[in-house]
Amino acid sequence: MRDTSNPLSARKSVLTSAVSSVTPLGQLLRNVSDNLPHNYSRRRALQLLMGSACTCCASVHANQLAYDLDVTEIARGTWAIHGRTEYFTLQNGGNIVNVSFIEVPDGVVVIDTGPSRRYGEALLHLIEKTVPGKPILRVYNTHHHPDHIFGNQVFERGSLAAPQQVIDNIIAEADGFSDNLYRLIGDWMRGTTVVAPGVALESDFEEVGGRKFSLFYLSGHTSSDLAIRDDETGVLFTGDLAFYNRAPTTPSADIDGWLESLKTLASLDRELILPGHGLRDERGGSLEQTADYINWLEESLSEAASLGFTMNEAMAQPIPDRFTSLDEVQTEYERSVVHLYLGLEDNLLPAVTVD
Amino acid sequence: MMSRILLQAIVTVIALTLSYALAADTRTLPEDPLNSVMWDNLAGRFFPGEVVIDQRVKVVGPHDAEDQMQVPITVDATALDNVVEIVALADLNPIPHILTLHPTRAQAFIGFRVKLEQASPIRVGVKTSDGVWHVNGIYVTAAGGGCTAPALAHGIDNWYQTLGETRALFRRETENSARLSMRMRHPMDTGLAPGIPVFYMNTVEVTSPAGDELARVELFEPISENPTLTLKPLVEDKLDELLVYARDTEANEFNFTLPVTETIKN
Repeated sequence: MRDTSNPLSARKSVLTSAVSSVTPLGQLLRNVSDNLPHNYSRRRALQLLMGSACTCCASVHANQLAYDLDVTEIARGTWAIHGRTEYFTLQNGGNIVNVSFIEVPDGVVVIDTGPSRRYGEALLHLIEKTVPGKPILRVYNTHHHPDHIFGNQVFERGSLAAPQQVIDNIIAEADGFSDNLYRLIGDWMRGTTVVAPGVALESDFEEVGGRKFSLFYLSGHTSSDLAIRDDETGVLFTGDLAFYNRAPTTPSADIDGWLESLKTLASLDRELILPGHGLRDERGGSLEQTADYINWLEESLSEAASLGFTMNEAMAQPIPDRFTSLDEVQTEYERSVVHLYLGLEDNLLPAVTVD
Repeated sequence: MMSRILLQAIVTVIALTLSYALAADTRTLPEDPLNSVMWDNLAGRFFPGEVVIDQRVKVVGPHDAEDQMQVPITVDATALDNVVEIVALADLNPIPHILTLHPTRAQAFIGFRVKLEQASPIRVGVKTSDGVWHVNGIYVTAAGGGCTAPALAHGIDNWYQTLGETRALFRRETENSARLSMRMRHPMDTGLAPGIPVFYMNTVEVTSPAGDELARVELFEPISENPTLTLKPLVEDKLDELLVYARDTEANEFNFTLPVTETIKN
């Protein structure tokens, strides 16, 4: 029996088919726990199912994990969950990303879905609490990085949309991201599987539930980055093309393309920017700061590579004062050296003739 | 009666085994600061003679490997005199031996990149001319799979056409020392990826035009694809170029000459 006191039960049951096709174990556990009396927790269900001491230890922890999502109305009918400006940890469970949802006349539009199934479920609860009874019409993925897509599985696949290249990137890389996230945030990932959007976006705008959204097909943070503007409120959702007071990340970056995209974003009419990480930005400081940082990254690493310094020596270079207040800057800088240095060496060390 | 004989036999076997075990390594090894299960084994295989833990051997690497196929490590043992050999190991790799440097006429310094199969100590032994091994290391956490994954080159049809393509720089840093940074195209196959036989660059020799050896590096399977080495050969004023010879396990040979670039920058 499904617990009918659960306000989400109606919505959940609609989603069951989508979820069960991808998470047989998760669904099995849910069915088991749903069919037990109230004082039986999922942990108890796991014990019954697995019957192993080891599983018990893990699930004791699992039972205490809950995302504390901090929601802010950043514009009329527009809510943002500002993630912490940290790296993935066992403590934050990957709640490090900005996810938002918008009430449109006939429903709700969601932008990015967070780092795990558990996050996706918390997001659904929050939407239901904030905008009760409205259907979720559209869920955008701005790009394929794990903190933006691993809540996908709680939404209907037909509502999930992204540019074709983002979908291709998810299919190619998300399994690897998933392995790594299980390592980084552990039990927060329980039951999380990869779900690629069912709708490939092509047009420059979409009318969703009586609201027009402009879509901008950009790149640079990854090979495909979608920026979205709500043409009614003027809020521009940049995905990870913009970071604010949090060091930008570069695992899939093409710096020159990214700088071009930032120029495009800066030229757009808008009222407010919601960056992918960091606080909402009224004046465009996030665009300037991100451009300044990635430009410095490329220039300083180019110099180090062309002088033949090792990656470790490049990592030990001082970070300019204007960036030292960015959250996670030391960690991200060192990661960026690994991401960017090989390509720079291949271009900047002189080619020699070999016999 | 039978059980008593059996018992005696067992006791004898145990005693013999113990005595062999004790005779196997009569050295008292210093305690391993990295607390690695491989310490006794690796010290026995790679560091014969006296072993000391020595902080003057600087091993620099990331705490967490961002890319387990390319983990950058720099070893600087220039605080020690009379270094004859530097051995780098990844304790928990299926093949632990990364490289051996003979800094014949070079500073006790090397930069390289390594594939990690799992989180592991990176251990470096520096042998001085008195035969003592000065050992230090760091612990690097990693997602894993670095040694058993195929090289990226195997995703390209004609990877062998660029085999040995080289980018390199030889730059004077001080009056008598220069920095050699070289990067060569090579898949560095470990033989552990399914269906891909072992194939790696195993020798790099740096000599003066007169034929004097400045540095020699023996490379092994864990070195990352497209091996990238940084060395610091000693250079006299009149030395204006050096010769590099490299060879792989299929006896492909690569030779190139590098002029000294006169930019001093630290």
